Amino acid sequence: MAALCRIEWHGIWFVTGTFDYDLVVIGGGSGGLACSKEAAQLGQKVAVLDYVEPSVKGTKWGIGGTCVNVGCIPKKLMHQAALLGTALKDAQKYEQWRPAVQNHVRSLNWGHRVQLQDKEVKYLNVKGSLLDEHTVKGLTRTGKETMLTAKNIVIATGGRPKYPTHIPGAVEHGITSDDIFWLKESPDVALECAGFLTGIGLETTVMVRSIPLRGFDQQMAGLVTDYMEAYGTKFSWRSVPKSVDKLSSGVLQVTWTDEQTGKDQRDTFDSVLWAVGRAPETKTLGLEKVGVKLNKESGKILVAADESTSVPNIYAFGDIGEGRPELTPTAIKAGKLLARRLAGRTNELMNYDNVATTVFTPLEYGCVGLSEEEAESRHGKDSIEVYHAFYKPLEFTVAERDASQCYIKVVCKRGGDQRILGLHFTGPNAGEVTQGFAMGFQCGATLTHLKETVGIHPTCAEELTKVNVSKRSGLDATVTGC
Amino acid sequence: MQWVKICRQSLSSTVNTTLTVALSRHKLIRRSMASDATTRFDFLVIGGGSGGLAGARRAAELGATAAVVESHKLGGTCVSKNVCFWSQVMWNAAVHAEYLHDHSDYGFDGGHVHFSWETIKTKRDAYVSRLNNIYRNNLDKAKIETIQGHARFIDGPDPTVEVNGKKYTAPHILIATGGFPSVLSDSDVPGASLGITSDGFFELESLPKRSVIVGAGYIAVEMAGILSTLGSKTSIICRQTGVLRNFDTLISSNCTKELQNSGIELWKNTQVKLVSKTGNGLLEVTLVTKDPEKKNEEEKIGTIQEVDCLLWAIGREPNTAGLNLSQMGVDIDERGFIVVDEFQNTTRQGIYAVGDVCGKALLTPVAIAAGRKLAHRLFDGKEDAKVDFSNIPTVVFSHPPIGTVGLTEEEAIKNRGKENVKSYKTSFTPMYHAITTRKTQCIMKLVCVGKEEKVVGLHMQGIGCDEMLQGFAVAIKMGATKADFDKTIAIHPTSSEEFVTMR
Repeated sequence: MAALCRIEWHGIWFVTGTFDYDLVVIGGGSGGLACSKEAAQLGQKVAVLDYVEPSVKGTKWGIGGTCVNVGCIPKKLMHQAALLGTALKDAQKYEQWRPAVQNHVRSLNWGHRVQLQDKEVKYLNVKGSLLDEHTVKGLTRTGKETMLTAKNIVIATGGRPKYPTHIPGAVEHGITSDDIFWLKESPDVALECAGFLTGIGLETTVMVRSIPLRGFDQQMAGLVTDYMEAYGTKFSWRSVPKSVDKLSSGVLQVTWTDEQTGKDQRDTFDSVLWAVGRAPETKTLGLEKVGVKLNKESGKILVAADESTSVPNIYAFGDIGEGRPELTPTAIKAGKLLARRLAGRTNELMNYDNVATTVFTPLEYGCVGLSEEEAESRHGKDSIEVYHAFYKPLEFTVAERDASQCYIKVVCKRGGDQRILGLHFTGPNAGEVTQGFAMGFQCGATLTHLKETVGIHPTCAEELTKVNVSKRSGLDATVTGC
Repeated sequence: MQWVKICRQSLSSTVNTTLTVALSRHKLIRRSMASDATTRFDFLVIGGGSGGLAGARRAAELGATAAVVESHKLGGTCVSKNVCFWSQVMWNAAVHAEYLHDHSDYGFDGGHVHFSWETIKTKRDAYVSRLNNIYRNNLDKAKIETIQGHARFIDGPDPTVEVNGKKYTAPHILIATGGFPSVLSDSDVPGASLGITSDGFFELESLPKRSVIVGAGYIAVEMAGILSTLGSKTSIICRQTGVLRNFDTLISSNCTKELQNSGIELWKNTQVKLVSKTGNGLLEVTLVTKDPEKKNEEEKIGTIQEVDCLLWAIGREPNTAGLNLSQMGVDIDERGFIVVDEFQNTTRQGIYAVGDVCGKALLTPVAIAAGRKLAHRLFDGKEDAKVDFSNIPTVVFSHPPIGTVGLTEEEAIKNRGKENVKSYKTSFTPMYHAITTRKTQCIMKLVCVGKEEKVVGLHMQGIGCDEMLQGFAVAIKMGATKADFDKTIAIHPTSSEEFVTMR
């Protein structure tokens, strides 16, 4: 646990004895917390530093990182509220609902604090930066400094929403996902995050420069946006915002270029929400000084398969790692494995392949494996077989809801038992449906495996075991009757 | 292959000679217009439900001439009696009722919302007749003849079936007549006939005020859940100490608890002694409770009054009456179900059976799979085609729903010995309830055997478990181990992720 360390002070190296900690983790989000708790459990002396730089609008929050405070958790609760709202079609009091969500988030913050205490992880609410490869400086909000030395340092500071700073008025008048869950009044209109906003009765427009859900299967992305459009979200395609001005009445005027016509358009909104990407906050970490290399374009830290950086005892993982999926579960798992490796308990590396995800849009989309485009590009169109079906969830039948976007697609390798390369599902409860299939996928499932599994009736998930019609055949892929 | 057969058939007071010409199965058959001739098919199916229709359609696709005999409406229990669809629709209605309780927690302005059973029934009737038509069209398109009437076997050198005086035969005859809800006779329990079964449940014109459900299986649980959640004061009468006793004990005890938490009154160790009708047309149900553990205690008598719905959900029996199976050498077991081997062969060559009438895994998808596999075996040369009855996933639409596949922990221990079985469990409150006053739990269990911890059973109850199960069933059928579960990355935030992060 204790190790000899060298400290550089005024240019002279001292052998002082022990480090303060075996491990210091900068960043108390999903990854950082998982890593620090795991390390502590394995007998390491651990400190975790967490600090939230307020957003441009001044929003800040407690420990837990993006997921707990301004990501997965409040998002899913709003999504559920929206699903209820779509059914109810009544105006509801945002003021009633918002505190309930925030109370839940605060209880999670508190839960994390208690866990850290239980596991004897030292928690410091300070902004961490690197002084050298074994020293971390922590700065409180009031400017007080603390120094910690550590054998190993882990950077898990995640990312924050980007502001398009080149657009005049964007920063002063716009908000981001950091703010939307903490606003005191309901935003009347917002760009993106539109799904749940439409669901709770707010008029919403999404402005898209090129394609939606970049990186996902584009046919599926289209079904998701078609559904949103059918349910009242407006889309402004091929539009590039130019400026945001505040009018005397207080509303915001957005000017954008319609790329198809080349002409400028203008409209007014009450709120503008930027969801144009996320970027890591590395400027204040002191990385360059210590020699940690970054990807110049993204600003993310370059990492190896074992999450190590260009500096031997400094590691980075989670959203801040270059090329890593920006997902909570991968950060958690990677953090735990890293802690185990550092404690000498395993050599196992994190496997970033076959990660299933779900997009919690009003029509949820779950997927695992390759998109159709990716499969085509890797294997060639003639070497893959795509099976698909349009199905109708039973709950849509009685409500007479349009189910034209409820769809399944299984992309397989052609020939033999037809190994599954990618599996895609749009429909209610996609998150719950997809997890089990992701497991099957992890085990190397083939189309034969799917079809040999007896369906569960009546559910939406069973449609995946009944998929029959290939795209190549050109036959009608609509499911008819039992 | 051509041959001519002459047989004698006695019909009331006249003697007729029947001449039958059978042609090779790849040519169109000639159907005789004379009423005393026997019409021949390649494949004759008795029962137009899930199993029968699936078998007939697949056989027709493979080139066989096929006919389906149906005495009621096409679609069987699943569709025409509307069980699958209707119970799911009612379950959804009940789920909506639950959500209504949560609305104000989620920030929605409540106000009293009224539920109309009549509205839903009208919609369901319209939908079902659409489905009936779709089924008929599917059969017509596939050139499968539908014969309306009740089938009865008559013996001869080849098995022959008579429907409304006409005779039909085929080298392959499939019995897929399904089942029906069991009832107690008035001699067993006086007044039993004053109650209804699940068939009658789907005919109800309005929501009962006071319901009593007798039974502890999944049908009793589902019916009770629907009625109670939609506003009927409901009691379940259970012969033993809990519901779903054939499920894993974790599920059985949790489901019993959730039922009680939701306001359903559960009478344990109780049976119905008698049922009587009172002056105002409502029923009085007399019950007798005896705890078998407390041998010295007297049995207690209780009554439930002003009952407008007494529902028997005490089991299902096979539809074999009137088929004349005993004459044909088709064996049935002690409960009346048709005995079949793993290939769906009965004890008489050329006669097969699939679905509920066999008494094993009474589920629509199983019947469909068995019907299709049989068609492939008989008409596609696939000699080994059969259904694998292990690892069949099922869902009970309780509140919240239950999902299960594979062995219970008790079955695994019995099979492999306690030292070879390890179970992983978890329970939590789903995030949906983070801001609601009403709460339900989610419980999950993995049953693993052997050093490699192969997952042989998965059991759960909670919001979303109905849609969660299917994918895991694929993996378990593939032989997934606990390590495979652990290797799979979680999808966040969901409930299903708890399965891949179990310790």
